[in-house]
Amino acid sequence: MADPKEVKRLQELAFEMRKKLINLCGNYDGIVHIGGDLSMTDLLVGLYHHGMKVDPTDIHAPTRDRFLLSKGHGAVCMYIAMSLRGYFNYDEILNTYGQLDSAYGMHPCKIQLPGVECSTGSLGQGLAIAVGLAFSARQRKESHRVFCMMGDGETCEGEVWEAANTAGSYKLGNLIGIVDRNKQMMTSLDGDYMHLEPYADKWRAFNWDVVELEGHDMGQIVEALDNLPPITNEKPTVLVASTIKGKGVSFMERNVGWHAGALSHEDMEKAIADIEADFAKVRSAA
Amino acid sequence: MKMTFNFGSFLSARSVVGETLHELGQKHNNVWALTADTGGALASFKKDFPDRYIDVGVAEQNCAGIAAGLALEGNIPFIAGMIPFMTMRACEQNRTAICYQDLPVRFIGTGGGLTSGGGSTHNAMEDIGIMKTLVNMTVLSIGDPNMVGDIMIESMDYPHPLYIRLAQGKKDRMLYEPGTRTYKIGEGITARDGSDATIIAHGEMVYVALEAADTLAAEGINARVIDMYSIKPLDKDLLLKAVKETDNIVVLEDHLMAGGLASTIADVFADDGIHPKNFKRLGIPQVYAGFGSGEEQRTKYGYDQTATVAAVRQMLK
Repeated sequence: MADPKEVKRLQELAFEMRKKLINLCGNYDGIVHIGGDLSMTDLLVGLYHHGMKVDPTDIHAPTRDRFLLSKGHGAVCMYIAMSLRGYFNYDEILNTYGQLDSAYGMHPCKIQLPGVECSTGSLGQGLAIAVGLAFSARQRKESHRVFCMMGDGETCEGEVWEAANTAGSYKLGNLIGIVDRNKQMMTSLDGDYMHLEPYADKWRAFNWDVVELEGHDMGQIVEALDNLPPITNEKPTVLVASTIKGKGVSFMERNVGWHAGALSHEDMEKAIADIEADFAKVRSAA
Repeated sequence: MKMTFNFGSFLSARSVVGETLHELGQKHNNVWALTADTGGALASFKKDFPDRYIDVGVAEQNCAGIAAGLALEGNIPFIAGMIPFMTMRACEQNRTAICYQDLPVRFIGTGGGLTSGGGSTHNAMEDIGIMKTLVNMTVLSIGDPNMVGDIMIESMDYPHPLYIRLAQGKKDRMLYEPGTRTYKIGEGITARDGSDATIIAHGEMVYVALEAADTLAAEGINARVIDMYSIKPLDKDLLLKAVKETDNIVVLEDHLMAGGLASTIADVFADDGIHPKNFKRLGIPQVYAGFGSGEEQRTKYGYDQTATVAAVRQMLK
């Protein structure tokens, strides 16, 4: 069982993160990929604030767990998760996001922003790179894990399955995939055109261990991360996390239009009120 | 006489690459060998360093991505493969996963130009054009087997992505006595001196250019041959010296005439306002070539030794 106090701490962080995301979306003069940011918020909190061994004061420590954001359009969600962990300053993200020469862009760039492990944004490419990191760690007998966060939509890309095939074949037990399974693509719902089910079975067929969980249930996230197999496991592991795109904002949830967008001041207030109401339910359930 | 040979022995003919990689693997524990099911020449590396050898199956995009991941951790991955798939199937991975992050991945591609014998699916006539447009990528086309080894060794200190184009491999002829030259990326080679005209070539076509120069010499024409193996960065000084001293330039390459070395040179001419008296490109026209040997196709499409000799003669009329 996950430690209830730890779960509560992480829930508070996720609440804080959602408000910060909405605040940025309401203040930035351009679009933010808010739908997929809100669907993976709890997962990123779980990873950066609980599951991964990382140290914001020593970003090159060889022993650190590696994190790749394959769904690179969720960069701002990662920046904020990292800022709450002590990597970056939130106000700097808020004030410079997307501007000329800012380190904080729509897709993360490791050259412009040290602390980011890998520049991503072209969908479907992250897992293969993560496989390379995992190979290197195993060959050097290093004990860290490699985590790769994917969107379910990007797993339509063939390269994902090429990489999954390699990771399964070479038994990369130090590799952990996480799929933000929000069941939406950019312009359609899963099932409208592309049918991704049986989704978990696809990973199993590529010789991965699969953990299915509710991606907005912090207790389940903590439990999944606490119970990851040892890096010597004979298979890589994927956490298939069922989520809701736009989670917490009534007019964004499951709304295909809200893959990305901008918020007026009025709608920003409304979205924050929704987030607060949603969190009140989490608090009362605890 | 028809001889028995199988695919295994055919692939192992690319032995310089395999031997050099083995040597590098022994010296440097951060050297990896990757392949998308074309690792025949890497048998000794695989045997002695199995934990640094990755065969991903026929999956070039994945191969490039894994190489990027290895390089992010300070490793030097060498990818050995067939040019069209390495440069086209994985083009975006090469660009975004490798070049964008300026990672020291080495691509060693075989089957340059029309030498593959496989027809248009396997021909490599666009690769230089594609690879040279990638920011941070270095593009070399090498026609001498020992030089390939020397450059691979030199590349250990080279901090950027690097593409080495080879011809089919089994027919690579020695152009330079081993150990007589040192090679530096960015510097071309005057393979033969001459003052009447300059034939600039790369890869396997350097040999053809040298043969053409021999034929011309018998007619009293003194042709210079430049092995411009470093296509990006280009040896501009050597190029401009050739224009100044010979004024007649023929570019001979086993690549589309548009987009390869000739285009790179034409860019220099246009940007710097250089006007040689004569400038002629010989290479592959806008066609998808068919079957037949590289030699046969060069003749068909007008960029063999005879065509080169004729082009120089025409300039000097």
